[in-house]
Amino acid sequence: MLVAWRYRERARSFIQSFDPRAWIMFYGCFLFSTLAFWDVRYLLFFAAIALFVLLTSGVTWNEIRRAVLFIVGFVTIFAFFTFLTGRGGTELYEQEHLIRRLEASFSILGWTPALDITVERAFFGVSQFVRVFSIAIMTILIPYSLNPALYGITFRGLGLPDKIAYAMDLTMRFIPTFSRDFQLTMDAQKARGFELEKISGGLIQQVRKIGPLMVPVTIHAIIGSEDIIDAMDLRAFGIGPRTWLQKLDYKIKDRILIGVGLTILLFSMALSTLGLGNFWVPPQLLVLAGG
Amino acid sequence: MSDYPLIVENLSFRYRDRQETAIRDISFAANAGEILLIAGASGCGKTTLIRCINGLIPRSYKGEVGGRILIHGEDTEKMKLSTISQKVGTVLQDPERQILGTKVLNEVAFGLENLGLSREEIYQRVDESLAHLKIQHLRDRDTFLLSGGEKQKVALAGVLAMRPSILLLDEPLASLDPASAAETLDAVRTLADEGMTVLMVEHRVEDVLRIHPERVMYMGEGEIRYLGEVDGLSRVVNYHEVKLPAEQIVQRAKRDPAPAEIRVLPGAAGPTSKEEALVRFEDVAFGYESDVEILHGINLEIKRGDVIAVLGPNGSGKTTFVKHAIGLLKPKSGRVLVNGKDTKESSVAEIASTLGYVFQSPSHMLFAPTVREELAFGPTNLKHPKDEIETEVKEALRIVNLSEYEQDPPLALSFGQQKRVSIAAILAMRSRILVMDEPTAGQDYQNYMNFMDAILQLPGFEAVMFITHDVDLAVIYANRVLLVADGRLVADGSPHEVLRDFSRLEACRVVPSSLLALNVNRFPQTGRFLRAEALAHV
Repeated sequence: MLVAWRYRERARSFIQSFDPRAWIMFYGCFLFSTLAFWDVRYLLFFAAIALFVLLTSGVTWNEIRRAVLFIVGFVTIFAFFTFLTGRGGTELYEQEHLIRRLEASFSILGWTPALDITVERAFFGVSQFVRVFSIAIMTILIPYSLNPALYGITFRGLGLPDKIAYAMDLTMRFIPTFSRDFQLTMDAQKARGFELEKISGGLIQQVRKIGPLMVPVTIHAIIGSEDIIDAMDLRAFGIGPRTWLQKLDYKIKDRILIGVGLTILLFSMALSTLGLGNFWVPPQLLVLAGG
Repeated sequence: MSDYPLIVENLSFRYRDRQETAIRDISFAANAGEILLIAGASGCGKTTLIRCINGLIPRSYKGEVGGRILIHGEDTEKMKLSTISQKVGTVLQDPERQILGTKVLNEVAFGLENLGLSREEIYQRVDESLAHLKIQHLRDRDTFLLSGGEKQKVALAGVLAMRPSILLLDEPLASLDPASAAETLDAVRTLADEGMTVLMVEHRVEDVLRIHPERVMYMGEGEIRYLGEVDGLSRVVNYHEVKLPAEQIVQRAKRDPAPAEIRVLPGAAGPTSKEEALVRFEDVAFGYESDVEILHGINLEIKRGDVIAVLGPNGSGKTTFVKHAIGLLKPKSGRVLVNGKDTKESSVAEIASTLGYVFQSPSHMLFAPTVREELAFGPTNLKHPKDEIETEVKEALRIVNLSEYEQDPPLALSFGQQKRVSIAAILAMRSRILVMDEPTAGQDYQNYMNFMDAILQLPGFEAVMFITHDVDLAVIYANRVLLVADGRLVADGSPHEVLRDFSRLEACRVVPSSLLALNVNRFPQTGRFLRAEALAHV
C-alpha cells in the first residue's frame, strides 16, 4: 500500500494558506530564479525567502530535524569537497587569488600534497552552500505542507492530463513507500543475522552483498506497481475524462503569490541576460589576497 | 440459464510461462442473491478463476484461455475491463494491495471519479456505501492509519460504490482479526440478501459457514471437485484438508483411528532449569512518536517449554511487542532481556542466533536465486559450519513440505509457498526460540497444520511464540496464551484460564470458535484442550 508523507494541517502556516497549485508555481519560479545566479548577494535574497517560508511553515523542529540535519550535512560536505578539490567553480572564474598555501610535511615520490586556499574557491564554496541550501529547504517543505489528498488535482489543475496527474500523485507517494519497504526488508534481513555495517570486500563484492536488501525492495516495488495497476483497472481508471472530487479555487492571495513568483522569475531572467548575478567575490578580499 | 448474472462455461486457463493449466473445465452459474463459497488448497486455481471472471485474465495476466464467461448474458471476451469492472466488483485478499487513496473519502470515490460522475452523485454514493458498511465515521480518516479490518471494509466500500451486481472476494478474511472478519461477513450476507451475487474464495471455511452461503464449490488441482449445498461438503471433502466446524470433524473422526499425540518441544526437556527466563520484559513501554505510547508497561517472561499464542485485535500492538524481543525495536522505558542481556546492548544479528523471527510478509525477505540459497543465508550469516548448513536446509525444507522446490527461485512460488519458505529460512537458523508473526495467514488448512505439528516436534527449540488471529491454533498448540489489547497485556495464562472467559475474549475482538466451545465444555473430562480429531476419541 502506498503511504503518504507526514502531512498535517497546521494553524497559521504561511505555505498552507495558499492553494497548492499557486504554491507549486511559486516554487517553480523560485527554483529557476535561484539557478540563474552564482552571486552570493543575490543568493542570500533567495535564502532569506527559504528561511522565511521554513520559519512560518508551522513545521516543528522535531518533525523536520533529521531532514534538515541531513541537508545541512550533505550540503556542507558537498561544498567543502568542492573547496578542497578546486573543481566545480573553474567555469565561473578564470583567475585565483591565493590566501594561503598549506603544504604537507612529507612527499610521495617527489610530490608534496598541497592545498591552495584561494578567495575564489572559498567563495565558490559559500555560494554553492547558499544556493543548494535554499533550494533544498524549499523542496523539503513540500511534502510536509501539501495535502496528499490533493496531489492529483493539484497537478491536474496545473494543466497535466488526468492520467499524468494521477501518475504524479502516485509518484509523490512512492518515496515514503519505498522508504517503509526498505526499513521492513532491513529488519527482516537483520533478523536473519545480516549486518550491513559489516559488509566488506571490493566494490563489486559489496554491491553483491547488498542484494538481500535491494532484491526484495525492488521486487516489492515492481509487484506493488502491478497491484496498483490491477486495482486501478478494476475500478475503471482511464476510460475517459475523470471527475476530481476535490475542487480547488484560486483566491486573490493565490494570484498575488503567482504574480510575485513570476515577477521574481522574469526579473531574474532579465538580470541573468544582462550578465548580472554571475560569480562574485568581495573586492576587499582580493586586495587582502594581494590581487 | 440466461437469467443467471454469471455463467461460466468450460473455462480453462494456462499462464503464459507455465506448462500446466491452472484451471480446467470449470462450469457453473451463480444466481442473484447467492453466496457461493469457493474453497480448496493453495494453488488449486481459486484465484485464477476470480481473475478470469473480473477480466484481469487475459488482459493483465497473459496466457491461453478456453471456454467463456457470460455476465448478464454478455460474453466478457468482447467487453473492456472498464465495462466489466462496473458489473463485477473485486475485493483482493490484502486490502493494502487495493487501496489507492490517501483518505477514505478519496478511496471510496476513486471508481466513481473514473466513471466521470458529477461531484454531487459521487458524494451521495460514497456516503451510501460507507453507511451500508456502517463505517461513516471513517470518511475523513487517512487510509494508512486504519486497522486491517477497517482497510478491508474501506476496500469493499470502494467497490460497492460502483454498484456492481456481482461481487468477487478473494480471501477477504486472511488478515482480519476474528471480530473484524465476522463484521465483514455480516456485511457480505446483507449484500447478498439485497440481491448481489457473491463469490467468496476463503480458507476459513468454518467462519464463512456462519453466514450460510447458499452453495460451496470445492476445487482441487484446477478442477471442481464438489459444487452443491453446504451440507454435502463435509461428506465429500477430507476433514484434514478443509477446516470444518469442530462438531462435524468429531463425528467424522470417530470412524478413524485416534491421531498420534505430538511431543511438543522435546528440546525444552533438557537439564537447564525451567524457571530460567529466556526472554524477560520488564515494564516495557514504547511509542513510534514521542508523544504517542503504543505499548504500556509490559511485564512477562518466556521460559523453556513455553508455546505461547499471542491473540488480540488488529492494531493492538502484538507485532510491536514481539519486535522488542528480537531488538528490532528498543523500549522507550523499561528493558527487554534476551538470555539475561539487555537488547539495547546487543545487535539484532546477535540476538538472531538465540531468537528466530518469522515476519508476517515473506516478500520483504526473499531475494536468493534458489530456495536452497535462501535458506542457507541465515545460517551462513550466523557462521554455521558448511556441512551443518546443508543438513539444516534439507531438514527445514522437509518440515515445510517444499523439498521438491529446492532449486526453484523462491520469488516464482505462490504466496503460500513463499510463506513456507520464509518459515523454513528461520527454521534453518536453528535458533533456541522461534517467534512467528501470523504463520498461517494465506495458508491452506492442511499445510499449516502439518508444518505446525512438525515445528513443535523439532528438537532444537526451547520455546515457541506465535501471533495469530486463529483461535484454534491457540487451542491446539499453545500451552500459554497472551491476550493483548490497546498495547496492554490483558491476560497471560494457560489456554483454559485465558480462553474460557468468552466475554473477555469478545472485548478483545476474539471470537470463540466451535473448537474452543467444544473444548471448554469437555474440559472437565479432558483436563486440557485438544484438537477435534482427538476429542472424537475422548
